[in-house]
Amino acid sequence: MKVDRRSFLSFVIGGAAGTALSPLPWKLIDDSSIWSQMWPWTPVPPDGEVVYEDSTCSLCPGGCGISVRKVDNRAVKIEGKKGHPVNDGGICILGLSGLQLLYGPTRIKTPMKRIGERGEGKWRKISWDEATAILTEKLTDIRNRGEAHTVAAIAESDSGTVPALLQRFMTAYGSPNFIRTSSQVDADELAVKTLFGATGRAGFDLENADYVLSFGAGLVDGWGSPVRMFRAGSLWKEKNVAVVQVEPRLSNSAAKATRWVPINPGTEADLALGIAAVLVSQNMVDTGGVSGFGSWKSDLLSNYPTQKVSQTTGVAADVIVDLAKGFAKADRPLALCGRGKGLVAGSLRETAAVYALNALAGNINRTGGMWAVPESDYIQWPKAATDKLASAGLRQPRIDGAGAGRYADSRYLPNRLADGVNGEGPYPLQVLLVAGANPCHDLPDSKNVRAAFARIPFIVSFSSFNDETSAMADLLLPDHVYLERYEDVPVGAGLARQVIGLSRPVVSAQFNTRHLGETVIAAARAMGGSIADAFPWPDYETCLEETLGEKWDTLMETGVWVENDIDPVADTVRLAGMDAPAIQAEGDVDRFPLLLVPYDSIRISGGTIGDPPFMIKTVADTVIKGKDGFVEVNPQTASAAGLTEGDMATLSTPRGEVRVRIHLFEGIKPGVAAMARGLGHTAYDGYLAEKGVNVNELIGPVEDPSSGHDAAWGIRAKLAKA
Amino acid sequence: MKHEQQHNPPMKYGMAIDLDKCTGCGACMVACMSENNIPFREDESDKLVSISWMSVFKLTNGKAFPDTEICYLPRPCQHCEGHGGHSPCVSVCPATATDYSAETGIVSQIYTRCFGCRYCMGACPYHARYFNWWDPVWPEGMEKYLSPNVSPRMRGVVEKCSFCFHRYQLAKNKAYLNDERTVPEAAYQTACTQACPAGAIVFGDLNNPAHQVHQIVKPDPRKGNKSRNPRAFRLLERLGTNPKVYYLSSREWVRRAGDNYLAHEKTGQVSNVHH
Amino acid sequence: MSTLDDKAKGVMDDDAAHAEGGEDTGAGGFIILFFIIGFAASMVLGWVVFPQFLYSQKQQPFSFNHALHVGEVGDGCESCHFFREDGSFSGIPKLAQCTECHEEPMGETEDEAIFVEQYVTRDREVPWLSYSRQPDCVFFSHVAHVVGAKMDCVTCHGHIGESESSRPYEYNRVTGYSRDIWGKNIAGFKRNSWDRMKMDDCAQCHKEAGIIHTSSVQTERDACFVCHK
Repeated sequence: MKVDRRSFLSFVIGGAAGTALSPLPWKLIDDSSIWSQMWPWTPVPPDGEVVYEDSTCSLCPGGCGISVRKVDNRAVKIEGKKGHPVNDGGICILGLSGLQLLYGPTRIKTPMKRIGERGEGKWRKISWDEATAILTEKLTDIRNRGEAHTVAAIAESDSGTVPALLQRFMTAYGSPNFIRTSSQVDADELAVKTLFGATGRAGFDLENADYVLSFGAGLVDGWGSPVRMFRAGSLWKEKNVAVVQVEPRLSNSAAKATRWVPINPGTEADLALGIAAVLVSQNMVDTGGVSGFGSWKSDLLSNYPTQKVSQTTGVAADVIVDLAKGFAKADRPLALCGRGKGLVAGSLRETAAVYALNALAGNINRTGGMWAVPESDYIQWPKAATDKLASAGLRQPRIDGAGAGRYADSRYLPNRLADGVNGEGPYPLQVLLVAGANPCHDLPDSKNVRAAFARIPFIVSFSSFNDETSAMADLLLPDHVYLERYEDVPVGAGLARQVIGLSRPVVSAQFNTRHLGETVIAAARAMGGSIADAFPWPDYETCLEETLGEKWDTLMETGVWVENDIDPVADTVRLAGMDAPAIQAEGDVDRFPLLLVPYDSIRISGGTIGDPPFMIKTVADTVIKGKDGFVEVNPQTASAAGLTEGDMATLSTPRGEVRVRIHLFEGIKPGVAAMARGLGHTAYDGYLAEKGVNVNELIGPVEDPSSGHDAAWGIRAKLAKA
Repeated sequence: MKHEQQHNPPMKYGMAIDLDKCTGCGACMVACMSENNIPFREDESDKLVSISWMSVFKLTNGKAFPDTEICYLPRPCQHCEGHGGHSPCVSVCPATATDYSAETGIVSQIYTRCFGCRYCMGACPYHARYFNWWDPVWPEGMEKYLSPNVSPRMRGVVEKCSFCFHRYQLAKNKAYLNDERTVPEAAYQTACTQACPAGAIVFGDLNNPAHQVHQIVKPDPRKGNKSRNPRAFRLLERLGTNPKVYYLSSREWVRRAGDNYLAHEKTGQVSNVHH
Repeated sequence: MSTLDDKAKGVMDDDAAHAEGGEDTGAGGFIILFFIIGFAASMVLGWVVFPQFLYSQKQQPFSFNHALHVGEVGDGCESCHFFREDGSFSGIPKLAQCTECHEEPMGETEDEAIFVEQYVTRDREVPWLSYSRQPDCVFFSHVAHVVGAKMDCVTCHGHIGESESSRPYEYNRVTGYSRDIWGKNIAGFKRNSWDRMKMDDCAQCHKEAGIIHTSSVQTERDACFVCHK
């Protein structure tokens, strides 16, 4: 039987008919359309039981309560905790992005030891036992040589049990070199000490104030406890509270204020003293709560006549008088300071002058006023016993010079660390422990800082992230992130009450990381002797529970402990500390005609935490475009340099030179250039690295003559077409 | 035996955003991104292709230093009602992928129906719609935080703000369990409303006099739902898109920025909405 | 054109030769036979072979006896498949639920041993394969149907509660979804309400029950958003 053409065609037609009558084509069409509607490579998030777990956010000092939504054991969303005394349900952009930090690829996932060149990024994974052994052998060796003081530790905070454990370790070990990173807290503590003669911090009853005079404080740009500030800002709007923002640039805080007073950068102290002089000369002061008024008054009136202040500050004389009157007429006026988020310490002169305004308004320790809040004192550990080696080490001067000589009044001077290491210190540093800080990015004059770090033979980083500093480290002992650990979070941040939050593990540790408190206790125990004796706790959780005592139950139950009735550290303000010279910007006026000032944005994390992808996504294309960063200038300033919007320019200062794009902004004083802080990372991942410019490359520290704190508010600069 | 199911009176979910309170902090944007599984890429500085259902625009009064003023304006989908639910995007969608719900007043977007023609993007006067030019890719490990309540979108479809409709669904689930047929005001709030640290966003049923948003907006149905609040305005109100997002500002220049006004025109005038 | 015509002519000549040779066998019958062969082959391919290729099988981690459990528990299906406080449906139980009873092995079956050894003692969730899992674009509210409309489980899930062992999980190689969505019958024919779980089946049931919403402006029917996400 031959299959001829007609038979074949018949077969094909039969096949086609049969196929059409079978489900094959129709089912395949349906299936392929379903397939194409939902590509299999698009992730499908697994469903499960939804639970909320409460904790405290510690990404900034704000201390907000958070409620984390979980689906089974995955954290899927961070929300503000309703009813929390700090944020009552609100949350900031960084707090919302926390899960990108928890699950993000920039985590350091296991302890590691450097095997390549420094900064090359070559590491060997090691076990925690090996890591602890490397650390303790190194430290024991140095200590046995009688050089315990050549070990330093830098941390983001000195309050709460974790920093306290690290401090205690340094003491028991025998090093005076525990350093807290710089912030407005430094100037605030010093001002409270100088004005009130006692240890404490300033708290502000913002919610009850009826006139707010802010000397550059970024009220809605991340100052203080950011969510509390947003809430206060809305409350002020509802109550028609006058808010005056004194600042050279129309920041968001200035934009939200009822009045923006542009000022020459760095002359805020002069304006505060000028306003004080008007108050005094017009008898609009309440001297009930101040001492030393007589001599101070004559100094003030002779040095700060309105005309002179007007010239210095660029604020019209009638505006100065107007501000003074507004301040005096209000029942509960409040003056605030600390530029932007308050990331730079600032000068004592400025802080004291602003706080003096509050004192002269009779608004100390009152509803709607400024409070002298005691430091939290719940950590009551017996003093760590020091053996001979430790005592000898502790007698040595600090590497940063704080607490002695001309720096007698300061506790920490991280801004002097680099110079100390680079040869100006009393001895070379052998080991640096870095916890919750990123000095290689955040300290001014990054070039100098990097040179200093290159000289330190052994750097240990406890960072959870591959930031610039951990990139320079020799040993990585990664901490859990805040969502994985227990920790007490004492909240300062300008609150006029005492608040302690509790961070609780919302999810189990995602990687082979270890709680810093645990690492410190383990290291101390491994070193034995008096060091081990100083750490009687078997683990961190026991330490935390015992330390918190009766507060523990409250914290476990509600997540937060609050003391609203403040017992102020002092009531009388001794007017002092305002006679120091003004802080000048570094650089020669002729070579560098402009003033460069950093500005803070709530959308750009300025502290230790690098901006997560969500936050970077919200940054305007006039701040970052591609990899390019921008500098903001008034159109007048730009046209004088022949520049216009988007142009590439060279921005140079005495400390460095960068290429940036120009963004024209009418809301900035002519002659001033502004650049966002917190960008220009070299570490992290492609979502953050190499975007924009790190303003710290351009600005160096300027020492406050009263304390040695960094008081740099800007630097002289030059713009030229690139 | 066909009968229409007993319905509650139709709702009209809407928003009142107080621009006097908004600080431009961007929390609403990120609250939305993390609630709705919005993807991100290494470079998000090309804002034309950067997906952000909630976008905060920066307005300036155009005056020179020192009279410059800034106002931030958060822009979710405006959930236009148009006339009878014929919002600009719904009218042009050839795939029935976007739709207007007479029950909630929410303009929906069904990703699996969308085939990416982007007519709706052209029709939307608010740039509230975004196209997925790329497959969403989360860095390794980060897909762990994705929420099962919202499907991640695939390449080639349009997406936009849904007023967190899944939250309405979940609130309805809870109501069913308690044998209730209405969703209380507090039980259904969008992620941006909940997050806003300044409390600038108020969300609820514009039809319900008990809801705060109604009390703020006081919509006037005889004038195309224009607000009776003198501080309130809507974006491009005179186009007749009849949006359900109302803005409040005490500043005249901000209210003027909401529409294209001639020099002699005052804000607060709505020309007749064509029928 | 001419070239094509020439070719066609050649083929026809060729054809004619074949036709001549086969004339006495009856060309018409032969053609019909081939039609039938083609038809039958493709029908077999489409109805029998294709489903074998389209679906792949996986075994459940171990066999589960629904019938036995229903007898033991007090509250029927809801004993294990319940509504959570937020109104969401718990679906397949988690290990913690099982271990409320199964802390120690109960009974001596091989499956029980696998369960206790592999999962209970190791504290691992059982990776059950869900026969009824809808695509990610679907939002289905159990509570609206079970509590709101007072429907029973059988209407959609059939008599799974009476099964004594777990049947293999079959999934579509193209879409990746469970075969139960389209139904066991490759043509999509169904006899029972639980045989298929496609959108048309939802619609059919809603239509029969007279639950007609008209909230969609585009379709004047149910808005897509009600069930799609």
